[in-house]
Amino acid sequence: MNISLSKHVCSEPFITFDNLSIGYIGQPILSDISLSICRTSFTAILGANGSGKSTLLKTLLGLQPPISGYVRFSTPDNVPVVFGYVPQAVRLDPLYPLTGFDVVLMGAYGRVKPGRVVPREERFFIKECLRAAMAEEFAQKKFSELSGGQKQRVLIARALATRPDVLVLDEPTAGVDAQATHALLEFISQIHRERKLTTLLVTHDLELVRKHAQHVIWLHGGKVLYGTTSELLSPEHIREIFEMEIS
Amino acid sequence: MDTLHQILSFNFLLRNSVYTSMLIGFACPLVGVFLVLRRLVFVGVALPQISSTGIAVSLSLPLWLGFQVTPQREHALVFIGSTLFSVVAILVLAFLERRGRGLPEGRLGTVYVVAAAVSILLLSKNRYAELGWLDLLKGEVITISNFDLVLTAAALALVLAMLSLFRKELLLVSYDRVFAITLGKHVVLWDMLLYLLIGLTVSMAVLSVGPLIAFGFLLIPVLTAQTFARNMRQLTIFASLFGGVAAFVGFWLAYQWDFPVGPTDVALLGFIYGAVFLMRKIWPVQKV
Repeated sequence: MNISLSKHVCSEPFITFDNLSIGYIGQPILSDISLSICRTSFTAILGANGSGKSTLLKTLLGLQPPISGYVRFSTPDNVPVVFGYVPQAVRLDPLYPLTGFDVVLMGAYGRVKPGRVVPREERFFIKECLRAAMAEEFAQKKFSELSGGQKQRVLIARALATRPDVLVLDEPTAGVDAQATHALLEFISQIHRERKLTTLLVTHDLELVRKHAQHVIWLHGGKVLYGTTSELLSPEHIREIFEMEIS
Repeated sequence: MDTLHQILSFNFLLRNSVYTSMLIGFACPLVGVFLVLRRLVFVGVALPQISSTGIAVSLSLPLWLGFQVTPQREHALVFIGSTLFSVVAILVLAFLERRGRGLPEGRLGTVYVVAAAVSILLLSKNRYAELGWLDLLKGEVITISNFDLVLTAAALALVLAMLSLFRKELLLVSYDRVFAITLGKHVVLWDMLLYLLIGLTVSMAVLSVGPLIAFGFLLIPVLTAQTFARNMRQLTIFASLFGGVAAFVGFWLAYQWDFPVGPTDVALLGFIYGAVFLMRKIWPVQKV
């Protein structure tokens, strides 16, 4: 079940969830989700642990098929959408002796055919992405030896290197200290503004969402609430949601 | 130094054993890198042993089915058996690892000891199998024919070519599977290719030098290189060099002091690892 707040109108939908039910075989977690995410918007997917954030993200990225319904993308000539996916840095195995440059280079692998060497212009573009993410100084450092915030900048550079249509950030501040979290979100907001990139941020941090996101998909108690940040995260509305749950 | 000159001489009787050991020494760490980085080390332990069970079963087939084979056909049979067992085993074990249910270490430990026991039992009661096969399973590098040397070189050249050609895809699916899927990569296909290459390398290694050395070369050179490698290129090149050089020096030492080659190679690899590890403790790698 989902509730879209009436005031919210999307002028140019880019991602549309159409009667989408997600979950695992025989166990739907969220059902009948119907909403549209606007092109160039900054949307946060908010929810507590176990609320279905990860499942929704997996379904969006095509890692897991929906139980029913569709995820549609408005791309010209139905060209497959390119995701700039930023995982939690702690999820990546530190055993791999990869430099920051090696990690960002992976962003170009989607455009280079198997068996081919990454061309020089792609390598040049990788350096540009590192520069854009202010991660140039980490290029020759071992990725596993960087701090949480530095790793996330490298991973954002990698996402930019995919030349993405959508930037998808999966709890990028997990394991990052408060100061670095603030700097990182400022940086993500800046990239979103400058590149007009449709951005999806998965988080459980209400304050971060309030400060940076334009729209919110709030997964709460099996319901999907969707609206602008100001209307959905107003104190009155939050109280209403929690009272609804208690009753 | 006399023994070194003898070994390097073209007329050396066991020259094919030296060449084969070195080929295995250079090649095993190349796939061992992926076993270590994917944290499939226990699969690396069990796999050579399962491969040797494949050899034992192949050698037992004529006995069970009541037919005789020529030595050439026997070699072809054990090659097929060893490769088949290795490839099927790694596919099944990797699948079970990925599912993450049960106790993987216990499962692999059981597979390891049962495979070792079955191999020896099968060969000890097989009148068709050459005595040399039992020696091989114990870690003796026995006389290797020109045909076996060429077969080993060809198979390992194929593995090297595939690893070089598809290095970026194999690294990507190993390091960040989800990211690889978002880029549209067929991760299952690349996993299968990697497992085939690992299976082929292991079966060639077990056929030539036995399971003990095969596992030693899969693991120890990679761990040694890992103590100082700053990137994937360094890890791969140094691991391969350690393996190849240790294979040669191990053979030399074994020949000099009349030791069995397999245990000498593995002990030498262990000594090098210990020495490098201690050096790195005393002089840590400077962070760039």
